Amino acid sequence: MINLKQVTRTYGTKTAVDCLDLHIHRGELFACLGHNGAGKTTTIKMMVGLLQPTAGSVEIAGFDVVTESRQASLRSGYVPDEPYLYDKLSGREFLQFVAEMYGLPPDVASNSIEKQINDFGLAGFVDQLTECYSHGMKQRLVFASALLHDPELLIVDEPMVGLDPRSMRLVKDLLKTRVRKGGTVFMSTHTLAVAEEIADRIGVMSQGRIQFLGTVAELREQLSSDESLEQLFLTLTDEEPANFVS
Amino acid sequence: MATAEIQLEAPATKQLPTTGSESRAFWMLRARRLNTMTSHALRSMRVQLVSISFASLVMWVGLYILFQQGFQFIHTGLLHAGMRTQFVHAIFNVFFLALSVMLMFSSAIIMYGNLFKSEEVRFLLTTPSRPERIVIHKFHEAVFYSCWGFLLLGSPMLIAYGDTALSPWYYYVLLVPFMLAFVLIPAAIGAIACLLVVRLLPTVRLHALVILAGIVVVAGLFFGWNILAYQNRDLMTMNWFQDVLARLEYSEQRLLPSWWLSTGLLEAAHPAQSRTGRPAWLESFYFLAVLASNALLLQLVLATVANRCFRVSYSELQGVTRSQRNNRVSWIDRSVAFVCRPLPATLRMFVIKDLRLFRRDPMQWSQFAIFTSLLLLYFFNVRRFDYAGTLVQWVTVISFLNVAVVGLILSTFTTRFIFPMISLEGRRFWVLGTAPIKRDLVLWGKFWFACVGAIPPCSLLVLASDISLKIATRLPLVAVIHQVTCWMLCIGLAAMAVGLGARLPNLREPSPSKIAAGFGGTLNLVLSALYIMALVLLTAVPCFFWTETAWLTKINPEGSFIFGGTIGLGTPGAVMVGVSLMLLLAAAATIVPLRIGIRAFRRLEF
Repeated sequence: MINLKQVTRTYGTKTAVDCLDLHIHRGELFACLGHNGAGKTTTIKMMVGLLQPTAGSVEIAGFDVVTESRQASLRSGYVPDEPYLYDKLSGREFLQFVAEMYGLPPDVASNSIEKQINDFGLAGFVDQLTECYSHGMKQRLVFASALLHDPELLIVDEPMVGLDPRSMRLVKDLLKTRVRKGGTVFMSTHTLAVAEEIADRIGVMSQGRIQFLGTVAELREQLSSDESLEQLFLTLTDEEPANFVS
Repeated sequence: MATAEIQLEAPATKQLPTTGSESRAFWMLRARRLNTMTSHALRSMRVQLVSISFASLVMWVGLYILFQQGFQFIHTGLLHAGMRTQFVHAIFNVFFLALSVMLMFSSAIIMYGNLFKSEEVRFLLTTPSRPERIVIHKFHEAVFYSCWGFLLLGSPMLIAYGDTALSPWYYYVLLVPFMLAFVLIPAAIGAIACLLVVRLLPTVRLHALVILAGIVVVAGLFFGWNILAYQNRDLMTMNWFQDVLARLEYSEQRLLPSWWLSTGLLEAAHPAQSRTGRPAWLESFYFLAVLASNALLLQLVLATVANRCFRVSYSELQGVTRSQRNNRVSWIDRSVAFVCRPLPATLRMFVIKDLRLFRRDPMQWSQFAIFTSLLLLYFFNVRRFDYAGTLVQWVTVISFLNVAVVGLILSTFTTRFIFPMISLEGRRFWVLGTAPIKRDLVLWGKFWFACVGAIPPCSLLVLASDISLKIATRLPLVAVIHQVTCWMLCIGLAAMAVGLGARLPNLREPSPSKIAAGFGGTLNLVLSALYIMALVLLTAVPCFFWTETAWLTKINPEGSFIFGGTIGLGTPGAVMVGVSLMLLLAAAATIVPLRIGIRAFRRLEF
């Protein structure tokens, strides 16, 4: 479903992603881990067409994101870490606009919008302007808009940031259900517990490269340790928690 | 949130949106946003809407009367109808050409912000929207933001001309399509230039645009100097008109859209003087068709350029690294710190912080730099009104008009840059709001920043005008009054922008240009214009009658000049009263908005 071949992306002299080879299979929930600046968000931005690779290629569902960017984005849904909403539109109007952007016929769009409103519990506020929404409400609307066109691939950047425990539970259920039904999820997160709980495979990035690719069990095996994912992650990325208390 | 039941659609059945449906979606988006904003304004801002409509109307009518009097002056000064039309044609050519250049740069700079700094574009690029559709969508937004001034200034001028020339009804009907078609051409050229500059020179991008603007301004200075470096002192005579026409020939290039616009409008305005013998409306319509087809063609070119280079430009621009700031304090900051030494240390830091933010964002100051350069061009040439000429009596009037022009340019600066500062501060209020400082200091910091930034350049501009007009040497007291008026303008306009910015903040909008174009910004602009008019009139009228008493006596030997004779307007006492009233008005315009702003800012919840 996702195919990154020898992908490199530079910012001036800094290499954010370095010769990355990554293949995510259909029906897989993949969690991308890494410290700040490891290259996770750059990788995601290349997948959704915001950035183009300096070298190599990125394919989504068989479509190159540079030469066939529209076809690729038609097959994916994206939930960014800082989503943009039109503050002078209501939630429903925003969903209608997104439906048109993805070329859904009017009847399909109407059914899909109602379904998402129901699935994400938007009914209570969907006709209010989005400028009045809380972070949680916005996040639910963004998830609904990303799934409106029923994409094969869902790309989620830091889905748990700012969510309360109940919303986190719901997001985890949503991602798992989506994968169970044959969809693919690529998730970037700092919440290691979530990755440990729901991901089929994890990839640990550091300095633009994949340091580890496999299941959590395989990571434990590799490091010969039974410790938590957090400790395994720190061992792998060679980072000790900063000592803020003197 | 229920767990979603998912029925993934087979990939083959997914269809990209058609061009028509994509276009419809964007138009619906605009219509819905406009509808929401309009209904919100009508529901909760009625008083403000009425007051701003009234103030705009007053301003529009004032401009109309000014232009009407100007055209009437030409009408009575030039009796030959053909010559008169030719002269107006030349004025229109130059006016629209200058406007084209300004619109081009304004559009290019706005497009840069709209396309490469916008969160909306970042969102749209992740959808299957065509890049050209996104660019055209933002282009229409830029046209709206960059041309409202043209409509506000252009419409009273063109309507006033139609009234003076007794033009037929279809002249007025054609005005709107003519103006719209014309505006699209320089705006599209600016947008295309913006895309190409970012594509070809991604590392210098905005600086390249600003440097290009600088080159154009220098070229303008050169041409302007060449045209107006005219030693004939018999102003407004037939020889003078012919000479000016000869010097303005450069603007009569048949390939310039400004020429198509002015020719098309004048064809409609003067049906009896059609150049080709065809009906005037038909000839005018022909020029409208030329303008409209070129505007549409350029939009197509823009779409093609966008299709080829927008996505890759956007991606490459993200890859440009910014230069590291060194840790030393720059000479500008040191100078400002020195000037602001009398202020408390915290306040001084606010001023320096705002100055740093301002100068590191060329989007903020580039348009202001263009305006100031154009003003310098004008001041360097205003010296042509020589004291030995026939228009000596107008020198004082012109000198005060120059003060007003400086004030008007400053008001665009305070509206565009100072007014949005409080709104923008809202997003950073986590640091200011939690610091152990009084909230009032934030406003005082903005106020002093505006004063320190405005007074030196404005004062120098007014001094340049006074030196050019020889006011500084011949009428030093008037030059002093000009300086005092200029300082009061700076202080009052700064206070109004800061006060209204705090009273009518828009804490949700991250773009300063959009904050300035909103209700509060427009209100600030209108009130500023009224303040400038009142302040300048209070000193200009008594000074004019005082300095021109000799001339008035000469043209009216009976000595029964009504103002000087009955209410003493031509006496030094009247000047004193005028200056005192001006100072009172300035004090009120400074204290009242600041008090309102400070009170509102204390109550503001972020």
